Amino acid sequence: MANEELIYRITRAIYDRLGASADESTVEQLVTDIYRTVEPAIGKNGSALQTSARATFGDSGAQEGSASRIVISVFGVDHPGIVAGVAEILSEAQCSIIDINQTVVQGKFAMVIIADARSQSSVADLKNRLRSEGEKLGVHIYAQREDLFNAMHRI
Amino acid sequence: MEYSQAEILQTVRMTEMEHLDIRTVTLGLSLRDCATESIETTGQRVREKIERVASRLVSTVDEIGDEIGIRVANKRIAITPVSILTESARGNPVDLGRAIDEAARSVGVDFVGGYSALVHKGFTRSESEFFDSIPEALASTERLCGSVNAATTRAGINMDAVARVGRLIKDAAERTRDRGGLACAKFVCFANAVEDNPFMAGAFHGIGEPEAVLNVGVSGPGVVNHAVQHADPNLPLHELAELIKKLSFKLARAGELVGREAARRLGIPFGIIDLSLAPTPVPGDSVANIIEAMGFERAGTHGTTAALALLTDAVKKGGAMASNSVGGMSGAFIPVSEDAGMIEAARLGALSLDKLEAWTSVCSVGIDMVAVPGSTSAETIAAIIADEMAIGVMNNKTTAVRIIPVPGRDVGEMVEFGGLLGTAPIMPVNKFSSDQFIHRGGRIPAPIQSLRN
Repeated sequence: MANEELIYRITRAIYDRLGASADESTVEQLVTDIYRTVEPAIGKNGSALQTSARATFGDSGAQEGSASRIVISVFGVDHPGIVAGVAEILSEAQCSIIDINQTVVQGKFAMVIIADARSQSSVADLKNRLRSEGEKLGVHIYAQREDLFNAMHRI
Repeated sequence: MEYSQAEILQTVRMTEMEHLDIRTVTLGLSLRDCATESIETTGQRVREKIERVASRLVSTVDEIGDEIGIRVANKRIAITPVSILTESARGNPVDLGRAIDEAARSVGVDFVGGYSALVHKGFTRSESEFFDSIPEALASTERLCGSVNAATTRAGINMDAVARVGRLIKDAAERTRDRGGLACAKFVCFANAVEDNPFMAGAFHGIGEPEAVLNVGVSGPGVVNHAVQHADPNLPLHELAELIKKLSFKLARAGELVGREAARRLGIPFGIIDLSLAPTPVPGDSVANIIEAMGFERAGTHGTTAALALLTDAVKKGGAMASNSVGGMSGAFIPVSEDAGMIEAARLGALSLDKLEAWTSVCSVGIDMVAVPGSTSAETIAAIIADEMAIGVMNNKTTAVRIIPVPGRDVGEMVEFGGLLGTAPIMPVNKFSSDQFIHRGGRIPAPIQSLRN
């Protein structure tokens, strides 16, 4: 049930970005790609939401912050294709998305993705790809190791 | 999400927009095992050791900075005070300085510190010769920095050394006349020098330190500046202190993360994190601007010593909570040429040498990167240093002077040093003489507060 809800939310987010007239098969393909990327992060009986709630309330592993996870923050002027562009790079790099949060306020796009970069031999490589994608999309993309956020914001 | 959007935004804003960076990762390296009876072979050994131990320093630290997403501005090396290495060696110490400089260039570090002598109580014969080599060594090298410890609370002030430092500074300025006296920017005179300071020009690897150690200096005035500027202008000062304290905690944690990771990858023990706020010439990354944001028209006016006291204390408290490896200087730096706000305040006449001296009583390096007229006498420079030494000795703290008498320039002119060293307005000195006091020489005895046992 929870997974269906997640699929629904991904679909809705894609339609929000691409508009109602988006090509149905493209949307379907994107939903499948994003869901597959997210799937490994979802527990047996839980949704991504529960995963994040558990982490907040004392999952000791997550509390330490992880050197293999990266926080990708994307900021810029909203336009269609930003989520898809970033998700595609992560998918190509075999990085699963652990958590994703995206908002648009007064035309300003903001998205934060926590991704597992364990499969990456070089985080620098992935960062470079994200950086150039950001230039292509006209948004700022920053990728930083998760343990920086843990160090700065958690005691 | 494990982190709120506000938390993530704050970190991204700090690292990307407010110039939060790690000012330096400094490798402290003992070279005592390199000392031989000849400067030439000592130089070879020193070069070999630096190139061996520090070969991966720059690439590893840059890699970590890139991964974590926080820039590490400088990579540096601090070595055993060179005067100790030359103690029983035949030859010219300047050659050793050049060998060290070459090694620094070959491993790609920005600076190497430690062309230093600890003479707070007196000179050995060899130290005295070494002392005379400092101006030439600094003038004929690129990345080499030097320092002299001329006073401690336990020993008092070695006024013979202070007088000689005055002449040394004049000599160093004259040797780099074509570069605005640049050699003086690489030299600092200390009271109560610390052995694990990662900041230049005063870094050296103290004799109580281990074989090798990695020390980190955090920066971050831009971050504090942004927060103070955006705080409610009517916020009471204790709440402002609280705000700075919390930010400082975050800065220190980020610094320690980078330092420990670098230590792990290089297989060198982690030493300390130095919490000093170190400004850069970039607009906004200024300690003067923080002070001004607290409610002053210009840094340097009445009340700014109190503001600086609040600032340094809050930074220390936040840092001390964040890490149990706090060390080094850990006080705000106020280098005039490296801080756009200071430069402006000095140009407008809001900030004087006297006020900088007063500020030293509540921060660490007081007269720092201050340019004075080239006509300033060695005695006046020595007297300025003596004042700073006295503040350090009597208050049981580290103080230091880095002053540049710019040859051929006078008050009102500017001098450009480039890079992190910035641009300095030439500031006026007191026109009345201190010559006789300096010529007396001798020692100012250790104060009563040195008798603590």
